[in-house]
Amino acid sequence: MSDVQHGLTVDALAPTRPTATQRGLRWRPPLSAAVIAALAFVVLLCIAVAAPQSISFYDPLRGNFLQSLQPPSAAHWFGTDRLGRDVLSRVVYGARYSLLIGVSAMLISVAGGVVLGVFAGLRNRFVDEAISRVFDVLSAFPSVLLALLVVVFLGASMVNVAIAIGLSGIPKFGRVVRARARLVREADYVTHAFIYGRTRASVFVRHLLPNVLTAVPVIATLDIGTAILAVSALSFLGLGPQPPTPEWGVMLAESRDVLRVAWWPSVFPGLALTATVIAFTLIGRALQAHFERRAR
Amino acid sequence: MHIDRPASLPALPARSLSAVALALAGSLFGGAVQAQPAPLAGGSLTWGVTTEPVCFDPHRSSQQNSFFLIRNYVDSLIYKKADGTFAPWLATAWTISQDGREYTLTLRKGVTFSDGTPFDAAAVKANLDWVKDPANTANAASFLVYYDHTDVIDPGTAKIVLRQPDSTLLESLSSVKLGFLSPKILTKNVDLCSGGPGVIGTGPFVFEQYRRGQSVTFARNPAYAWPAENAKHRGPAYLDRVTYRFLPEYAVRTGALSSGQVDVIEGVQPTDIGLFQDAEGFQFLTGPSSETSFTLNVNYTQPPADDVRVRQALRDGFNGEAIVRSIYRGTVPRAWSIIGPSNAAYAKPLVGTWGNDIAGANRKLDEAGWTGRDSEGFRTKDGKRLTIALGYPQPYVRDNRDILIQAIQAALRENIGLDLDVRIISAGEWAKQTATGTWTIYPNTDNPSDAAMELWDMLGSGGFLYGNIKTPDAETTGLIDKVRLVPDPTQRQPLLNAIQERGVQQGFIVPLFAPHYQIAAKANVQGLGFEPQLDAPASAYEIWIGK
Amino acid sequence: MPLLRRILVRLATGALVMWLSVTVAFLALHALPGHIEDVLAGDMNYPGLHEAIAQEWGLNRSLPVQYADFVGKIATGDLGTSYVMRAKVSEVIASQILPTVELALLAGIIAAAIATALAVATSGRGEIPRSIASTLEMVLTSSPVFWIGFLLLMLFSFQLKLFPVSGGDGWRAIVLPAITLALPTSGLLAQVLREAMERALEQPFAVTIRSRGVGETAIRFRHMLRHALLPAMTLGGWLVGGLLGGAVITEKVFGRPGLGSLTLSAVTSQDVPVVLAVVLLAAFTHVAISTLLDIAYVLVDPRLRSQ
Repeated sequence: MSDVQHGLTVDALAPTRPTATQRGLRWRPPLSAAVIAALAFVVLLCIAVAAPQSISFYDPLRGNFLQSLQPPSAAHWFGTDRLGRDVLSRVVYGARYSLLIGVSAMLISVAGGVVLGVFAGLRNRFVDEAISRVFDVLSAFPSVLLALLVVVFLGASMVNVAIAIGLSGIPKFGRVVRARARLVREADYVTHAFIYGRTRASVFVRHLLPNVLTAVPVIATLDIGTAILAVSALSFLGLGPQPPTPEWGVMLAESRDVLRVAWWPSVFPGLALTATVIAFTLIGRALQAHFERRAR
Repeated sequence: MHIDRPASLPALPARSLSAVALALAGSLFGGAVQAQPAPLAGGSLTWGVTTEPVCFDPHRSSQQNSFFLIRNYVDSLIYKKADGTFAPWLATAWTISQDGREYTLTLRKGVTFSDGTPFDAAAVKANLDWVKDPANTANAASFLVYYDHTDVIDPGTAKIVLRQPDSTLLESLSSVKLGFLSPKILTKNVDLCSGGPGVIGTGPFVFEQYRRGQSVTFARNPAYAWPAENAKHRGPAYLDRVTYRFLPEYAVRTGALSSGQVDVIEGVQPTDIGLFQDAEGFQFLTGPSSETSFTLNVNYTQPPADDVRVRQALRDGFNGEAIVRSIYRGTVPRAWSIIGPSNAAYAKPLVGTWGNDIAGANRKLDEAGWTGRDSEGFRTKDGKRLTIALGYPQPYVRDNRDILIQAIQAALRENIGLDLDVRIISAGEWAKQTATGTWTIYPNTDNPSDAAMELWDMLGSGGFLYGNIKTPDAETTGLIDKVRLVPDPTQRQPLLNAIQERGVQQGFIVPLFAPHYQIAAKANVQGLGFEPQLDAPASAYEIWIGK
Repeated sequence: MPLLRRILVRLATGALVMWLSVTVAFLALHALPGHIEDVLAGDMNYPGLHEAIAQEWGLNRSLPVQYADFVGKIATGDLGTSYVMRAKVSEVIASQILPTVELALLAGIIAAAIATALAVATSGRGEIPRSIASTLEMVLTSSPVFWIGFLLLMLFSFQLKLFPVSGGDGWRAIVLPAITLALPTSGLLAQVLREAMERALEQPFAVTIRSRGVGETAIRFRHMLRHALLPAMTLGGWLVGGLLGGAVITEKVFGRPGLGSLTLSAVTSQDVPVVLAVVLLAAFTHVAISTLLDIAYVLVDPRLRSQ
């Protein structure tokens, strides 16, 4: 579901609209309120990943059995779950799993996609076709199902989940990088550089790489959201981290059986997930707008 | 086949005032005013059950949740009643020789398998020999460890001959696991696990259809006339058809019953009991608990659990009472022994004598040298963390037991710094672990059988847990082998007590709670009950649908 | 005839991708550590198992022969045997596929309906409707599908008691799962449709239509939707893949039978043949639909026809 849920991949590839500034309308500040809020949220997430104990009050793994399934209150802002554990603390500590696995998956996609894309764009026709077929095969498998396949072969673990999602994301980067690489390769200034005797390597570093890499950070930021959603989906299905790990997808799976009597163990982790994805999406879009302005 | 309420069950919510008044009125006016309505034949019943059986062959299945489905098409020689005595069923009478090695059974006349094959001594022999043959990898073979052969005296008389006396055999013969399938289908290398109309028994229903992932359906056997002697009626079952739908999630089963999509469910989430108990239009029943408790079996040959102090610390390092009460909301009692509290063989001396001694547990671990602490707070010794793995086989996960184990894991970590590494493992991995004796902690109940048989299974030198381990505890296995030879219950009990006591004292076993099956149903479903030997819901034979 | 050539190229590419997927699957199977018999058996052990596996997969023959055999079998629809379930994989899948297909189809229709309605209602009508729609779409695509399912369950099943909590019986049981599955997809689709429509609305021919006095909504429905459909078609294969993947999750949330629950239990019991078959099936569906849509795109867009 990740590719589909991630709306902005399409955005990144579609031709652009003229921005408001270009249309000569009123001046807008460089960063909208939404983006500032998103950045603040990401900072909060980073704190949650690096130093969770500073923004939570309880041990996420320790439960008081006399206090199971308590609704949100002054003592427990997000309530407690079945084993009496504080939901807020679990949400905070859970950030690191979703984020770290999501970012790892994204990095795998970036690494694979950029390398393959550059080769496809710069080398001969045969290599290009072959690598494009690899992209086609990888994108033929829905990411959830590809992950199931990886897990049945290699077992359920956080690493395997990251690998699986990373693999499904490679075509996204690969195709864009390949397109950019082809454009640059055929550009005049590159031909001139060769005429002047520059080596392939220096041409690559000087001209190609920066050009290719302006696209990547945007897609990467947008991709983090997709990856996090996919990670949480796989954890929800039981294929990633196991209980009692406070990963958000795992928490949602655990809350299923008591849904009828307790809404808080499922609503708060879900909100955290959604907010995280929205935050990265907003930042990604802002980045995209920024790069487009610069490109004119 | 009636309902048992175990004595140790804590008080359930009080009945409504009007019900009390009615009962009082009834007794005041002398005797029951309402006569029981007459059973109505016909109709279909739909159950919602937790587990889809992996195997429909009674001889080879090991899943507790498969047996009460199998019971619909498989009968046994005798029937174990709630008081522990045996009633005639497919065998009308039996005698045991003086030396305890020969069981002569007189078989009921006129019994047939649903494919027309007569049930006779030859069929008994065919089934028992098939189970015993190691090539068939029958789970029930453990019941027949001392079985030698069966003599067919005449079609109506069979003599089972053992190599040595075995006090567990009578109960084993009352188990569905030694039930009977048509000899025609018991060929070599056949695989009957996948179910379907080809699985043929003598039971009140025949196997009609199996839809994988969805349901299994049984249809009435019109020729049926041979229920156990204490059954409430003779002759065919009332229902035309019974369907068991596989709904693994609690919320789904509860919703299905509430909305009327199913008539009965098995396995009710503790937080949902209030929806059905004392509720208009529904009924709620709790079954007996006489077989094994849900217990942590600790492999005492695998380090670090090979140190008795570590095992005792594990046993005492958490408040079992509070955890069980919290997760099950007071609907099941905490266990003191591996044998269930409703069982006559329950070791009463153990009650109240162990558990929840956190200071003592910590002391023992200090004595055992686990004095270091690592960054996450777990104890260490020589740089190694105190970790014991717990592999819970996936097919046996049910009844919130995985939640229970997580709660214990959290408590052990906090109280004594022991890392209980909990993992859900596949059936295949479990099979590998038992084959090599490398399992570490096995959390489960055992399939119901005679108490001595269960101890043999879980702690004995030939059981499935220690069968492949070279040096199990000699004192325990010695007692277990001995008790199987002793038929007299009064002589058996001290031995059974000794085994249970040693198991708990040495930390070989950490009993947790005594499970009961819980059934919720629409109010018009009559005749629901439990089979004492199975400790599970009874087959659909006595069930009928009222107005 | 460039058009025909284009179509043939698309078909060939589609077939090539499918063949490559099968090859990768085969290689992956054999590259795994341990004996392939154990992998296929899922660590089960019962009488006759090893003989059956050896016979079916021809493991004593050379690798190229096994490979040819493998491809041949799949091409003819024989997906092997599941040793864990002791049944032919194609039968197992056939028995479970209908509920999933129903769910995916209904979800697709609902998603298309919601997306079209949103796009028609808000494209080019001013800043406020646009930003509301845009925000809604972003929230929908950013929420985990299983969480949406929980929220709908809590509201409509537990509180309002309008729909059953579970199962696969009757039309009521499919409503909530279909809506759950449709929502994230509808967000994405709405975005694409709206942007395409806005681009079309800015074209000169829009002015011509308006000057004829056609109302705003009618313009969008009758004229602009067609133009918006083109980019949406390129998403088609993607959407199908996403729906199938999402169906796995949605079936777990609502306790519906289908390929999702089949695959999940196959993964837990290490039933490689079943998982492999389902995943390949999903990939094939995706490729087939993408290829068909590519061809349709070429046929539908007059600009491409005459090149």
